[in-house]
Amino acid sequence: MSNSVSIWQTEAMTGRVKKRYNAERRFKALGMAAIIISALFLVYLLGTMLAEGLGGLDWSFIVNSDATTPDDAGIWGALKGSFFTMIVTLSLAFPLGVLAAIYLEEFAARNRWIGWIEVSINNLAAVPSIIFGLLGLAVFIQTMHLPRSSALVAGMTLALMTLPVIVIAGRNAIAAVPPSIRDAALAVGASKVQTVFHHVLPLALPGILTGTIIGMSRALGETAPLLLIGMQAFVATPPDGIRDSATVLPMQVFLWSDEIDKGFVQTTSAAILVLLVFLVTMNGLAIYLRNRFETRW
Amino acid sequence: MAPVFIILCALGLGLVGWFTARAKARTLFTGRGSMHSLPSYHGWNVALWIILPALVIWSIWQFISPGLIEAEALASPAAAALPDAGMLRSAILSEAQKLADDPDAIVFNPAAKEMVPAVSAAVSKYNWIGAGLTLLFAFVGGAYAFSRVKAAYPARSLVERTVMTALFIASLIAILTTFGIIASLIFETGVFFSYVSPIDFLFGTHWAPDPFAPVTDNIGDKYGAIPLFWGTIFIGAIIAMIVAIPLGLMSAIYLTQYASAELRKVMKPVLEILAGIPTVVYGYFAALTVAPQVRDFALYVGMDNPSTESALAAGLVMGIMIIPFVSSMADDSISAVPSAMRDGSLAMGATKSETIKKVLIPAALPGIAAGIMLAVSRAIGETMIVYMAAGAAANLSANPLDSMTTVTFQIANLLKSDGAFDHPATLAAFALGLVLFIVTLLLNIIALRIVNRFREAYE
Repeated sequence: MSNSVSIWQTEAMTGRVKKRYNAERRFKALGMAAIIISALFLVYLLGTMLAEGLGGLDWSFIVNSDATTPDDAGIWGALKGSFFTMIVTLSLAFPLGVLAAIYLEEFAARNRWIGWIEVSINNLAAVPSIIFGLLGLAVFIQTMHLPRSSALVAGMTLALMTLPVIVIAGRNAIAAVPPSIRDAALAVGASKVQTVFHHVLPLALPGILTGTIIGMSRALGETAPLLLIGMQAFVATPPDGIRDSATVLPMQVFLWSDEIDKGFVQTTSAAILVLLVFLVTMNGLAIYLRNRFETRW
Repeated sequence: MAPVFIILCALGLGLVGWFTARAKARTLFTGRGSMHSLPSYHGWNVALWIILPALVIWSIWQFISPGLIEAEALASPAAAALPDAGMLRSAILSEAQKLADDPDAIVFNPAAKEMVPAVSAAVSKYNWIGAGLTLLFAFVGGAYAFSRVKAAYPARSLVERTVMTALFIASLIAILTTFGIIASLIFETGVFFSYVSPIDFLFGTHWAPDPFAPVTDNIGDKYGAIPLFWGTIFIGAIIAMIVAIPLGLMSAIYLTQYASAELRKVMKPVLEILAGIPTVVYGYFAALTVAPQVRDFALYVGMDNPSTESALAAGLVMGIMIIPFVSSMADDSISAVPSAMRDGSLAMGATKSETIKKVLIPAALPGIAAGIMLAVSRAIGETMIVYMAAGAAANLSANPLDSMTTVTFQIANLLKSDGAFDHPATLAAFALGLVLFIVTLLLNIIALRIVNRFREAYE
């Protein structure tokens, strides 16, 4: 008994176990490599933009508008255009999105019509952004004759794109409010509308705002649909209103990237840095809101 | 008087109405149960009765006043010199209106300057009439509602009914948008197919539209979209996926199965940042750094005169952009596999990697496949990366170092060139848009079906 060797000690078996452990290590290293490659790419991208663009960031770059020479070019016009566009987008998409989310989550009867609305919202969230540009061109410019390349049309187009994001986030936030809140309000005599607007909506608001900020940051970085509604025009004077010809920050990046003059590499990268700062701030705000105000029921 | 100012006036009146009606309702209160609605609901009711009629009248006026202004301007003596009705006359009139708004505006027609006094007189006259009508209706509506402020008046029910209507209308916007997309794409595509037959478009292999070429009978030869479909599939569904699937899947596996909690906490946001970078930044990065390196590589392998724009550069960067989508979908579907299956495999003596390869991934495969389909639909709809890095040449080639073009590139390119809206080259963009819409829609619907069925299987 004592001199019989366990099967685990045979050479064939230790070899097999060793092989399996090596395979395990290789697999783990592959996973690690995938993560590192993704992270390195991000570092490489940000590093390139910082190296190229940091030298171009000065006060005159902020307060000047587009120009034909890289030294005079700045982003004030594009910033103003982005600001007007975002105002239009927010003032359309936020109220409509919240109201639609309330209706679908709290009041809608489960019938085929509501099913259609839900399907179309989920599909709109996945439609390529350039299709919204085609819609904006055909409806807002060709049919309604709104001014081409204006912040108004850009904002309306982006609002249609942002709306499904806000509706989906809003529905999730409203659904997360426990039924006991509604029952309590109804039990002391509040009407259904009062229950929703006085009790459910305030509790769901942080979640809705988080979704809205994420949707808005996506709209802020969007370029493709705006190409189709004429925003690639050269605009040297900052817009004074939503009907003026305007350009937006990502579009300015695109326009400068097309310039042959080597000096525009710096302006383009600097504009990208400004755009990224805005996006990081917005997403940071969204994360802060989520952590600060989100209630776990 | 600026149109926006009138709206502000109506809103201000509404505010005044809200306060006065609430104050009046408060005087009616005589004790518990003496009133149907709270005073603030009477306020809301009156405010709505002021603002809604004003808004309705104002919007109707925005529609009819341009016609009235034009008629008035044409009746003026200055209009006698204008040409007969047609393109030129309406161009002169619209330039005159632009000048009337802003004296510094640049106009091309000298005749427009002559028309400015007549036009601006007509504009201000009809603006005043519009303002008067709007405010009149606001007053009438407000006065009617104010007279109805009584203890038994069901103000709350009325306000709540209005709120419900508003909610319902808001929820219709989504379906209207979908309808608008489908209707405009199908309509313009129909017009396009009256020039170019669908067979030529879908199966032709030569793509060279010219927005300024005259429309002839054999124009269909130049609208064969096969090279675009091939370029889209090659860049979005092949090259990008060769990058994104292994990297995305492996990072999801590593993060869910191996990584410590701290590493997860750091790396998940890093992947989310990759998803949040605007596509124009990826496009610029592809054109600035990746494309020249790909070109050097092409020189190295012996291609003569390679283009700086290549399918490979665009596909590589697009693949990186897609990693977060693949990894978050894979993450969800791996976490959805019941832990009993994993524990069972580990208890039988399988190593972690064997469990992942033989149990977790096969069990999560439907979810992963759906995630990949969503990623493909995202990649083929992506515009800016290919617009800045892939090029305009419609090559039907399997060499990733060649310049290639995609559906989205051509949509943007055809509509950028300021051709006439009814030219086949412009309309072709809508036909391409329709194809893109249908393909992404199908991919999404199938993916969602798979996800739902997969979820049911484990619940």
